[in-house]
Amino acid sequence: MSGKDVATKMKTRVILGEDRILHGSSFDAPTSFASVGVENGLNVEKFTEEVKVEVNDVSEDGNDLVFELSGVDAPLANTLRRILLSEVPTMAIEIAEFRDNTSVIQDEVFAHRLGLVPIKADPAFFETHVSGNEHTPENTLIFDLNVKCFRDINNEVVNSKVFASALVWTPFGEQAERFAENPPQVVHPDILLAKLAPGQRIDVRCYVTKGVGKVHAKWSPVATASYRLLPEPVIVAQPKSEEASRIAQTCPTKVFDIEDSGELVVARPRQCTMCRECIRPPPDAQHSAHGVYTPAVELRRVKTHFIFSVESTGILPPDRLVRDAIGVLKDRALFYAELFDQKDFEEHMAAASHSDGDDDASDDETKPMLE
Amino acid sequence: MNEPERYELFVLPEGVEKLSLEKDTKVPNAATFTIQCEDHTLGNLLRMNLLENDKVLFAGYKIPHPLENYLLLRIQTVPESTPSAALQQALSDLVQSVAVLEETFKEQMSGIKSREGTYL
Ligand code: SF4
Repeated sequence: MSGKDVATKMKTRVILGEDRILHGSSFDAPTSFASVGVENGLNVEKFTEEVKVEVNDVSEDGNDLVFELSGVDAPLANTLRRILLSEVPTMAIEIAEFRDNTSVIQDEVFAHRLGLVPIKADPAFFETHVSGNEHTPENTLIFDLNVKCFRDINNEVVNSKVFASALVWTPFGEQAERFAENPPQVVHPDILLAKLAPGQRIDVRCYVTKGVGKVHAKWSPVATASYRLLPEPVIVAQPKSEEASRIAQTCPTKVFDIEDSGELVVARPRQCTMCRECIRPPPDAQHSAHGVYTPAVELRRVKTHFIFSVESTGILPPDRLVRDAIGVLKDRALFYAELFDQKDFEEHMAAASHSDGDDDASDDETKPMLE
Repeated sequence: MNEPERYELFVLPEGVEKLSLEKDTKVPNAATFTIQCEDHTLGNLLRMNLLENDKVLFAGYKIPHPLENYLLLRIQTVPESTPSAALQQALSDLVQSVAVLEETFKEQMSGIKSREGTYL
């Protein structure tokens, strides 16, 4: 292997050994590998060329999405993940007004349970409600929950369980027309909220507002959003046939296949969990003269290839969430780019260096404050 | 009880600038930016974008205290450039690459929709 190959491997692959991990960190600086002639650093054209998205799997209910994002560095993938968890807005119950609660569950505990109920309403139709301001049809949805438990004529207890389906939307202002097509509702009507005994009653009015997950997890639009690096098990030295079948059998996720010719091949690399079973020396391992066992397989992960899995809570479809997350990031970047244009930092820098040797000027500035 | 107010995460305190710069007095071509109401989400991304610029000698960020919502981003460049020019470059690169990412993702998802016809 030439220096260049080694450098490229260091840059793009994490290598998992039996007892250690190699090249786990990233090499961002453009000069990291300049001496061996490997180009590092990134520019927008290169990014455009390399970035790739591929959708792997969508669950039957459409709430889970697995896609692969490749050609990007870890910070960008991580930013997307963090935004998905905490900065994509949704609607959730923020204020619960109790008119009556004779159940055993305390007001504050019940209010907390209410807050966590996912509400199916598109946040794009709402403005953010600033606490303390008035609730308007533009920033608030109202849900009422009014359940009384009693015994009917057959002495059967009715309404002993309060489910999320008891939360009914009460149109506010002209909302009835605005949301005539898809009225706001709870995502899962079968969430158990409370239990009642005959004669007990809960009557609550809930105000649903728009928010983000970093303020409170109830606004987080995802159950989980995570990524893993693409596993890359590689056969570095073709083992003998008994060894090959041993490795193929030892893999718990059946990553390897044995060809008719007896050759060991990596058939399903994405199933690899990096359990390292295939690189563990067997009891009768052939150690080299130095007592080193060299496994036939090398386990690597591709540093710039992320397998994302986004599980929506059901409020918004996951592809919309990812698009929203990218949108949030884009808005943020644009915001700072514009803010930067307004400020004259270049001048500030120049001015600061100018006054460095000029002690009198800075003295003048500080004096009024001291007095 | 002594929980910080939730709105502090995104409401700028009065009289505080969203983005400010302080020039380093000891090191040439170095400055520290203070960005209010931001966390690792943006900090790490900017750090990466800055490091990819070959005019940047040093770029690093820190969040001095977990209960205070601001980050410090320190940049040192070669004499031909300035920290603010480097950050401006990083931001415009970011805007462009995110736009590319958005397009790529949309294209891919629209392909999925038309192929299976059932999704979304
Ligand atoms: S690390 Fe585990 S899952 Fe991956 S190939 Fe080896 S044995 Fe199979």
